[in-house]
Amino acid sequence: MSTERPREAVRIEALSKVFPNGVQALSDVSLSVAEGEFLVVIGLSGSGKSTLLRCINRLIDPTAGKILVFGHDVTAAHGAALRRLRTDMGMIFQQFNLVRRHSVLLNVLSGSLGRSSMLRSLLARFPAEEAERARACLERVGLGDRGRSRADALSGGQQQRVAIARALMQQPRLILADEPVASLDPALRHSVMRHIESLNRDEGMTVICTLHDVDLIQRYAHRLVALRDGKVVYEGGAEGFNAETFRAIYGEDAEPTAGLAQAPG
Amino acid sequence: MTDPSTTTEGRPEPEKNPEAAGGRFTALAVDVSLIFLFVLMVEFLALCFSGRRGPTGLLVSPEEVLDLLHYGWLALASLALGIGWQALWDRLGASPGWALKHPPGEDVIPVPWTRTLSGWFVALLILLTFFTGWLITEVELVTFLTQFSKASDIVRGLVHPSSAVLHQGLILLVQTIFLAFMATAFAIPVAFCFSFFAARNLTRGSLGGRIVYNVVRAVMNFSRAVEPLVWALIFISWVGIGPFAGVMALWVHSVAALIKLYSEQVENIDNGPVEAIRATGANTLQVLRYGVVPQVIPPFLSFTIYRWDINVRMSTIIGFVGGGGIGYILKPRVDLGLWGEVGTLVLLIAATVWAMDILSAKIRERIV
Repeated sequence: MSTERPREAVRIEALSKVFPNGVQALSDVSLSVAEGEFLVVIGLSGSGKSTLLRCINRLIDPTAGKILVFGHDVTAAHGAALRRLRTDMGMIFQQFNLVRRHSVLLNVLSGSLGRSSMLRSLLARFPAEEAERARACLERVGLGDRGRSRADALSGGQQQRVAIARALMQQPRLILADEPVASLDPALRHSVMRHIESLNRDEGMTVICTLHDVDLIQRYAHRLVALRDGKVVYEGGAEGFNAETFRAIYGEDAEPTAGLAQAPG
Repeated sequence: MTDPSTTTEGRPEPEKNPEAAGGRFTALAVDVSLIFLFVLMVEFLALCFSGRRGPTGLLVSPEEVLDLLHYGWLALASLALGIGWQALWDRLGASPGWALKHPPGEDVIPVPWTRTLSGWFVALLILLTFFTGWLITEVELVTFLTQFSKASDIVRGLVHPSSAVLHQGLILLVQTIFLAFMATAFAIPVAFCFSFFAARNLTRGSLGGRIVYNVVRAVMNFSRAVEPLVWALIFISWVGIGPFAGVMALWVHSVAALIKLYSEQVENIDNGPVEAIRATGANTLQVLRYGVVPQVIPPFLSFTIYRWDINVRMSTIIGFVGGGGIGYILKPRVDLGLWGEVGTLVLLIAATVWAMDILSAKIRERIV
């Protein structure tokens, strides 16, 4: 953890994405995320949250605009340079996206692919110290004894923790979490969110996370960005998130959750 | 990724559809083709039943009738009928071509086919096709039902297998199984490598990828379209008569077939793990190794065993022309009418195919 003034981790300038089928997923989105921040992105399904995250690590190529990650222009990078930038960004997915037939340990080890030697990784022969580190990452998410299990033998919550260990293995400076708890049992959501929070608090990783639940948003977000139809409609602290802003984000028909304060006046 | 409100409002009414003009032309083309087939078959049947005599004075056969049809006039007539139907469609009901291009919405109550001209037209067309096919393929039911005795020699031989070729047959059966196995084994690495280039989801990203995709697909479809028998003749000239020519012939065919089956599996994978591996900064080969391959190994194994099974069956025919295996001794016995020995060999092949089928089903059940 650095003691100096927080620097900018991600800077997004006038980002737009139009899919080949003509859908405008993002239009003119500009954002700045400070280093060490836990930013939560909210919005309806289809509002562009996932597209925004996937533009940051270029799983999707934006149509226009610019994205800087730790000062490096992601939008201009290609080939090896882009892959090097990606090693700095760990990603956690709604569907966990583990390799189901691989062991849990190999899934964690795959987090280091961007930095490992080509031939050894193709033969799946990782150095002993890497395997040791992978076991430590598994220990960290409370699955130290499950390394030899097949990934799909684990429950949903456990699989998502393996995915977090995989991101941890990658030693990134930025975590992109796309609905990390949306496919999990509500009772397990906090356990997974606490691990992501720990990446942010204890490892100093910047987190950009999309969420749906109001109580999770209020509990974990340092700051909030809301998207609607691909545009930023709200930006600010979690405390300013009330019934009025809720309707602005989710539409007039949406029912504000009980936990939200009514707008003053 | 769309806002639901825009999709419901943005859907154009069918009449205002800008594609309607193009759709109308396609509908007309379909109608004219169908009407053309219809009138052709009507004239064909009329000529066949008119007892018409050909230029030589003899009763003409269905093949010769095909030569006597008035193709040009019938084409013009169908064009006129097609245009007429399009013009009067509000009186006659939608034409088949129009119905094909514009399937009714889910909220439209379906009209039974007996109440529409289109329905009657299609029903009659199917009936006409059946009767025309009966005449063209010269179906002779009476002969089929009464003349069994002429084939009884062959059938008696088949059910009374002779033990004379049992020993040689068994030895060549082993050769057949290994021939099929080697063809499959040689096909696996080639098909495995090329299947990724033949998968649309992996190649659509770049222009080079799309070119490779189309080239691999074209070569694959060509080698699949050429009969294994023809490949066998090519390889017999190339490497000489014997089982190796058979291996090569089945190899070419298996490579093409496996590329097709493999690449379909690659196209069906879950993109999630691929995204996850790409997001770690892995390169293309690493993404294939960790994101794609683990997902396709079980179906690949299953299809490979299935292919071995098919190759055993195919190698019998390959042997007919000199490609080794049991077919090699089967052919001369068929030609000489040694039906007892043919019966032995056919039973050996049947038993093997049956065993392979059970085996491959069991293995595939366990893998997937």
